[in-house]
Amino acid sequence: MLDLIVIGAGLSGMLAAHTAARAGARVAIVSKGLGALHWSAGTIDALGYFPDEKTPVSSPLAALPMLAPNHPYTLCDAPAAWREFAALTHACGLPYAGANADANLWLPSPAGAARPTWLAPRAQLAGDLARAEPMLIVGVRGMRDFFPELIAENLRKQNHAARAAFVPLEVITARHDSNSVQLAHALDDPARQLKLARELKKIVQRGERIGLPAILGLDNHPNAFQTLEAETGAAIFEIPTLPPSVPGIRLNDALRRELHRLGVRVDVNMDVRGFHADGARIAFVESETSGQPLKHRAEKFLLATGGILGGGIQSDPTGKTWEAVFDLPLTIAPNRGDWFRARFFDPAGHPIFRGGVAVNRVFQPVNAHGAPVYANLWAAGGVLAHADPILERSLEGVAIATGVAAGKFASQA
Amino acid sequence: MPKIETDLLVIGGGATGVGVAWDAALRGFRTVLVEKRDLTHGTTGRYHGLLHSGGRYVVKDPHSAEECIRENRILRKTHAHCIEDTGGFFVVTPEDVNAYPDQFQAACKNLGIPCEEISLRAALQREPLMNPRAARVFVVPDGAADSFQATHSTAQAAQIAGAQILNYHEVVALIPAEGDPARVVGARVRDVARGEDVEIRAALTINAAGAWAGVIARTAGVTVNVIPGKGTMLAANHRLINTVLNRCKMPDDGDIIVPIHTVTVIGTTDEKVQDPEHLTIEPWEVELLLREGDKLIPGISQARFVRAWAGVRPLYQEHYAGASRDATRDFVVLDHAARDGVAGLLTIIGGKWTTFRLMAEKTVDKACEQLGARKPCSTAETPVPGVEHGHYWLGHRLREVEQNHLQSELVCECELVTRAMLENAARNNPTLTLDDLRRDVRLGMGPCQGGFCTYRAAGILHELQVQNSQSKIQDPNTWHVADLQSPARNAKLEIGNWKLGVGTPNLLLRDFLQERWKGLLPILWGRQLKQERLDELIYLALMNADHLPDEDAVSPMSDFYSRRGISTTADTEARDA
Ligand SMILES: Cc1cc2nc3c(=O)[nH]c(=O)nc-3n(C[C@H](O)[C@H](O)[C@H](O)COP(=O)(O)OP(=O)(O)OC[C@H]3O[C@@H](n4cnc5c(N)ncnc54)[C@H](O)[C@@H]3O)c2cc1C
Repeated sequence: MLDLIVIGAGLSGMLAAHTAARAGARVAIVSKGLGALHWSAGTIDALGYFPDEKTPVSSPLAALPMLAPNHPYTLCDAPAAWREFAALTHACGLPYAGANADANLWLPSPAGAARPTWLAPRAQLAGDLARAEPMLIVGVRGMRDFFPELIAENLRKQNHAARAAFVPLEVITARHDSNSVQLAHALDDPARQLKLARELKKIVQRGERIGLPAILGLDNHPNAFQTLEAETGAAIFEIPTLPPSVPGIRLNDALRRELHRLGVRVDVNMDVRGFHADGARIAFVESETSGQPLKHRAEKFLLATGGILGGGIQSDPTGKTWEAVFDLPLTIAPNRGDWFRARFFDPAGHPIFRGGVAVNRVFQPVNAHGAPVYANLWAAGGVLAHADPILERSLEGVAIATGVAAGKFASQA
Repeated sequence: MPKIETDLLVIGGGATGVGVAWDAALRGFRTVLVEKRDLTHGTTGRYHGLLHSGGRYVVKDPHSAEECIRENRILRKTHAHCIEDTGGFFVVTPEDVNAYPDQFQAACKNLGIPCEEISLRAALQREPLMNPRAARVFVVPDGAADSFQATHSTAQAAQIAGAQILNYHEVVALIPAEGDPARVVGARVRDVARGEDVEIRAALTINAAGAWAGVIARTAGVTVNVIPGKGTMLAANHRLINTVLNRCKMPDDGDIIVPIHTVTVIGTTDEKVQDPEHLTIEPWEVELLLREGDKLIPGISQARFVRAWAGVRPLYQEHYAGASRDATRDFVVLDHAARDGVAGLLTIIGGKWTTFRLMAEKTVDKACEQLGARKPCSTAETPVPGVEHGHYWLGHRLREVEQNHLQSELVCECELVTRAMLENAARNNPTLTLDDLRRDVRLGMGPCQGGFCTYRAAGILHELQVQNSQSKIQDPNTWHVADLQSPARNAKLEIGNWKLGVGTPNLLLRDFLQERWKGLLPILWGRQLKQERLDELIYLALMNADHLPDEDAVSPMSDFYSRRGISTTADTEARDA
């Protein structure tokens, strides 16, 4: 019999499972999909902006105490969880680091904006916009999702020295319909790494650092990165691309290997849609199959299905919203007219995305009176109420902090 | 102030105005058309997409119905490539069993509208998702029409015949003759892209500004009471049907479903509004359309909807005060000399997209009368460029992309827009915003509503800007707007010159995302809401596009969502007055 089933294989689910497994619990993950990492920048964003505030957050650590009382960060020790995460990435060979001080790190976005983040993989660190070396942003002619001229021009507009250049696609692959993942696979090949390095050497000037689309290898990424730096003699940094996100996939794969090592079984393509409770205890959850629903039994359950993005929260045209597995109470207004603001980029964000499952101090979903809905259920990540992690640029930071916390509480209970 | 002299000045770049310019140029008039934004910015770009057979009006408004069937037959020849020959059903749902279907059938016969009753089984074989409890089904020659392409092709035909088409040129006021306020001699026009005024002097000015016609007329002291009837439509993300479905009853809300390109569109509502520019879509309209849609296609309300939009009918009826649904669909040419004692000005108003060619013909006939020239109309026999492609069919882009291995070139996967299509559209058509390219090649019109292609398109246009100096000018006589739609032809076309400078890529991106947002807001639930959240992940978390430079830049599109935009428009002036 399992001690804990985590529903959802995104960052929060994986961290929750990892934490519980490290504490000695027998854990499994069942999940419909793979979580938002595949769509993300591959960085750990902790807190970049407060809703409706123009000035960005310079230090998430300093900003945490200023958050609204219900914010998920106020329920847990986020900085400790981020430190644990950083240590974990070192242990799995994909080391993440942040700025030196307690400040956010500012990295170039695929549009050439400066994006605030807390921890970034080694391959993105040389993009630090606090550094002075001029940037050479190199695109691959024929690659769809990366625009070096756009990035360089926007960086210049923000007073960073940057220029753009291209290398031909043939340097990396003969296939013309390659997306970022296929290009990254091609660059797992040491011969192609060398070929790319030679092209870069022709165009880079002394003192420049080189920004490339985030396609520098998947399985053989550390080698690709070292070869390019060694052969060009320049600092290299990756800039994330439109999804699929190669840095996100690397992180996902590293964490999955770590979970595997700890004996945590991960089943994806399992859409958990039903459950059975004996009074206040959940006995099992059910996933959809072509035939009979499959029953998954455990002592405890942890919900990490993500919010609207992950499919953990569903909605219909009448303004009804529901939590997809346990039909837990949600904090979302029942009227569609109250869900959105007139401007897509409204700095206050769209109210619906702040809604979700409310939890108590030990991350158990609660009803309107603050009492736990089920005695053996915990929740973490995007499904939680009282934060809009995309607006705040806290998506991964919240996933890690709440995943670690909920995993800890669930395994201790 | 720069000056232009011409015989005819046409105001409005919708179907009607462009049709007038085409007809007038073919008859040998020197013609200038001004449109305040892109062609089809008005109702023409926000309509339902139905090439009427006349069936809809056959009982209520037989005169309109007769015009529809006549024009339907003509447009199938002159604008074949803009039309998909879907055919249409008039469906008697259980709610519609009364005397109307028999009246309908008799009236069609009377007017010569082909109308064949088929068995329910045959109907369901053709349209399996149609209501299986329908009592009767009639087949009529309805079609689906792409008004973007039709208007652009007509504009190109007009240009080839010598007309000058100026978009992003907005009439500020009509100009009275010196010493004779009862004569209009042209208009003062704002070149919106350059921010400067132009004076256009014309022997005759034709007001084809649709729902805005009253605003234009007012600047010459003339009252034209347009009845602005707003209609809302919803697009579901698949082709659920391949035939136009109409309810067989008196025209009402939500009783037509049109399959067009990759989507299925339910429409419409009909509400009197004040301002034709800034339209809001109310939740009750969405609910009504879903409810009514279910009666023709049970379960369509559960489909994924990708967009909602609204247009304003430029209906006109002298001394009318009733509901807009009941106002006539007829058109009129107002001769303001006879009607109001103001010479040099005609207004063409009312009608339907389907009858735009006829409206243009009658207008230019009147112009001939006034200018003392007698020249026959030839538009009914003159196909526009692109007609050689034959009728539109849904698979044409996919087939070309697959046969020519252009998958790697796709900028918009939903609508199969290749990079070359986008670049050619930007360089051969005046382009200020990504929305202009949407109208040209359907950029961002599919399920992801610009999630992926907005960034790509902004990046590509920016690259074009950077390389612009090396390109060559394309001859408008050898290049066809219809080519825009073809992945294969664009792969071989030489890229033409840039016609208008676009704004910064940051502005392009912001404007287009906002424009898409406007159409998403009314239908965000379920899977489309999830898609929207993914778009936020991309544009906020990944791109940080809400913190890009050029935050204060504005374009002619920005005034849709912020009042900081270009504000010296005739309509704001009129509103403020
Ligand atoms: C909801 C709805 C659905 C419809 N569905 C159908 C259908 O399925 N089939 C059909 O046949 N018909 C349909 N119609 C009717 C049809 O769309 C319209 O009759 C037709 O498009 C009107 O074209 P227009 O050129 O007269 O007006 P518009 O297309 O509105 O053109 C007027 C133009 O004038 C421009 N303008 C305004 N002010 C100025 C200025 N100051 N200076 C310069 N330019 C200016 C505007 O920008 C606009 O582009 C529908 C209408 C509505 C509202």
